[in-house]
Amino acid sequence: MDGARRSQSSLPPNLRRWAAEIERDARSRGLDFFALDFRWLDAADVNGLAAYGGFPVRAPSWRFGMEYERLSKTHAWGLSRIYELVINTDPVVAYLVRSNSESEQKLVMAHVCGHADFFRHNAWFASTDRGMLDTLAQHAVRVRREIERHGIERVERFLDLCLSLDTLVDPYDELRRSLRKSAAGGAITAPTYDVLGFLAENAPLEDWERELIAQVRAEARYFLPQRLTRIMNEGWASFWHSRILTGGVLDSSEIVDFADCHSGATQQAPGRLNPYKLGIELWRHAEARGEDLFKLRRAHNDASFVDLLLDDEFVAHHALFVHQKNARTGKQEIADRSAAKVRERLLTQLAWGGLPRIELSGVGDGRALELVHRHDGRDLDLQKASDTLQRVATLWKRPVRLATRLEGVAKRLVWSEGTFESVDVTESAPDPA
Amino acid sequence: MFRIEADRERFREIVRGRIRSDLRRYLSTPELLAKHAGKTVSVPLPQIELPHFEFANEDDDGVGQGQGARGDALSEGGEGEPGEGAAGNANAEHAVEVEVELEELAEMLGRELGLPHVEPRGRREIESDAGRYNGVRSSGPDSLRHFRRTFRSALRRTIASGQWDPEHPRVVPQREDFRFKSRRPAPVPDSSAVVFHMMDVSGSMGREQKEIVRIEAFWIDTWLRSQYRNLEVVYLVHDATAKQVDHDTFFHLRESGGTRISSAYELCLDLIRSRYPADEWNIYPFHYSDGDNWSARDTERCVSLLRDELLPRVNQFCYGQVRSAYGSGQFKKDLDHAFLGDDRVVTTNVAERDEIADTLRAFLGAGR
Repeated sequence: MDGARRSQSSLPPNLRRWAAEIERDARSRGLDFFALDFRWLDAADVNGLAAYGGFPVRAPSWRFGMEYERLSKTHAWGLSRIYELVINTDPVVAYLVRSNSESEQKLVMAHVCGHADFFRHNAWFASTDRGMLDTLAQHAVRVRREIERHGIERVERFLDLCLSLDTLVDPYDELRRSLRKSAAGGAITAPTYDVLGFLAENAPLEDWERELIAQVRAEARYFLPQRLTRIMNEGWASFWHSRILTGGVLDSSEIVDFADCHSGATQQAPGRLNPYKLGIELWRHAEARGEDLFKLRRAHNDASFVDLLLDDEFVAHHALFVHQKNARTGKQEIADRSAAKVRERLLTQLAWGGLPRIELSGVGDGRALELVHRHDGRDLDLQKASDTLQRVATLWKRPVRLATRLEGVAKRLVWSEGTFESVDVTESAPDPA
Repeated sequence: MFRIEADRERFREIVRGRIRSDLRRYLSTPELLAKHAGKTVSVPLPQIELPHFEFANEDDDGVGQGQGARGDALSEGGEGEPGEGAAGNANAEHAVEVEVELEELAEMLGRELGLPHVEPRGRREIESDAGRYNGVRSSGPDSLRHFRRTFRSALRRTIASGQWDPEHPRVVPQREDFRFKSRRPAPVPDSSAVVFHMMDVSGSMGREQKEIVRIEAFWIDTWLRSQYRNLEVVYLVHDATAKQVDHDTFFHLRESGGTRISSAYELCLDLIRSRYPADEWNIYPFHYSDGDNWSARDTERCVSLLRDELLPRVNQFCYGQVRSAYGSGQFKKDLDHAFLGDDRVVTTNVAERDEIADTLRAFLGAGR
C-alpha cells in the first residue's frame, strides 16, 4: 500500500483525487481488489511497455523487439491506441498515459478497477503469481547471466525452442491438482498436457537449460488464465467502467467524450465480433436474467460463461450467426442463425484457450516421445505442426511422434534422426486420436 | 526506456542476418519492388515467427454479428478474423514485414556481390563539407573538449611520471593533456549521378522479360543511390521510336512493332546534352532489349553513336540482353564485336531470374 501511494504521488493532483474517488465508488459497488498502483507513463514509452506485456523488466528477447516495431508502426499510423495497460499483480499495477485526456484517464481508472477485481476473484487466476513483477525481473537476470556464460546465440536458440512450445501447458492443471488434492510440485508423469513441465524434468538437458524451460513454463502458466477469460474479463471491466462513469464520476460535458471513447473500445467492424462488445453484452444479459454477477465472475471461464448465457434470446437480439466458407464461391457467408449452432461454434473456438489439445501420452520404444492431438474436428496446420514437432525432438534428443487426423485420415507425424515423415495409421490399429 | 531498444536492436540484427543470407533469393524476385517507399523498403520475412501447434484454416469459419439472410456473403471487413478465441493470437498469422533502409540494403548487396565503391570519373571529386567530428587533436575550443581522451592522457602522464598512487587515485589534467574533437574532412564522391534505363518495348519483349528488367533496374538504382548523394533516374522506352516515360509507365507499357535501338540512344544523348552535362554528372546509361534490331544499318548507327557521342560522356555503358522466345540476341554480339577490349562497355545476357545477380555484378563490379 505504501509503495502504491508513493507511485501514485507521481500523478498530477487532479488525477490522484479521481483515482481515490473512482476506487471508492468501485468498492462501494461490491468490486474488491488489491491496492491499485497507477503509474504515469509517457506516450513515447507506451509501445515499449506494451511489447513487454506491461512488465517493465523482461528477459531479453528479439520477439519483444519485433512486437515493439509492430506496435510502433500501427501507433504511428494511428490505427490503434492503447487505452489501458494493467497487470495482474499485488498491488495491481496500471498505467496512465500522459497524453490522454482527463475523461480518458477516468475511463481507464474505472476499467482497471474491473480487471483488478476479476484478477483477484476469478478462480482461474487463483494460483497466479502475484509477485510476477519480481519473478520476471529474476528471469531476466537469469537469462542475462546465461547469455554471458554461453553466448547470445546459444541461449537465444534454446529459448526460441522452448517458446515454440509455450502453448503446451495444462490450462486445467490447478483444477486437477485441487481435485486430486495431490501435493503441488510432485513429479509430472504421463499422460499429461504439461509437455513443457515434462520436458523440463525428463529431457536430457543441462541444468541451465532445465532452468530456462522452467522459466518459460512459469511465464506461460501465468499468462494462460488471461487467454481463458478474455471475453469475461474485458466484458466485466467494460461493464463496470460504464456503470461507474455514468454514475456520477463524469460531469455532463464529459459524457459525450466518454460515449465516444467507450464506443471506440467496444465498436466492431461490420460482421465481426469484438470480445469487449460480446463480453459486456453477456454481462448485461446475465444481469437481466437475474444472475448473481459476482458469483459468475468467480467461477467461470469464457467457455462455460458462453455456454451458460448464450441463449436464443441473446443470439436473436444481437443478430449473431455462424459463417462458413462457401466451397463454390470461396467467400465467407452466413450459414446459420440458430442459437445452438452459434453456441456450438463459439464453444469449439473457446475450448482449451483456442488452442489444439496436445497430450503427452508417454515414452515409447526407443525412448520416443508419444504425443496425441485430441482431434475435435479441426485439423492441425501441417507445416507448423511439423516445425513445432521438430523443436520438441531437438529438446528431447530422441524421436518424437504425434498422432493426429488430417482430412479425416488418422496420421502419425514423426521426427526422427533429423527427418520428418507423415505416416497413415492403418485402420486396423486403434485410432490414436 | 525499458531496455526495449536492446531487444529491438537484436531483432533488427536477426532480420539483417536473414535478409543477408536470403539476398540471392530477394535478388531474383520482384517481392521488394512494390514495397519501397522513400528511403525504406518493406521486406517480407517468412518464418521469423516461432512455430506453434495451431489449427489450419483458423480464419475460415466462425461467428459473426449483423443483419443478413442465410447465404449472404460477408463483407470484406468480416473476413479474416471473425471468431473469438482464435483472434487472441491472430497476429502470428501474418507474414512479418520489416522496414529496411535502402542504404542498408545496398550495403548488403555490395557485400554479397563483392561490389567496389564507385570511383567517380575524372577529378571532379568535390571535397564536400561532409566532415564529421571523429578526429582528436591537442588544441581546440573548450566546447569541443573530449573528456574521456583528456582524462586518459592525463592518467597516462600521471602513471608515467610516477605520481600515481593507487591508495589516493587522483588525476589532474593539465593543459598538455587536453584533447579536442576535430573535424575530419571526408572527400565524398561527386554527389550527382543520373541513370538512364532504356528498354526495348517492342512486341517480342514479354512480361517475364520486363520483370527481369524491372528487378535489375531496382537493384541498380539501390546501389547507385548509395554511392551518390543525388541520383536521378530517367526512363526511356523505345520500339521504332523512343520517348521518355515515368516510372510506372516504364514497367507496364507494352508496345508492339519494330525496333530501332538508335532512337533510344539518340534521345539519351539529347537529354545528356540538354540537361545532364557530362562535366557535372556521373552518367550511367543502361539498355535492355532482347537483342533484335531492325537492321544492321541501325546497329551500325548505334555503334557510332556510342563510340563518338555517348562513351566520352558517360561513366559506363551497360547493355543487358534479356532472352526471349523471339529475340535472336544478335545485338549483343554486334556490340561485343565493336567494343572488344573497351571496358567502358559492359554487356550481359540473362535468360532466367537466377542470373540477375551475376548481371548486377558485371554491371556494377567495375566500380566506375
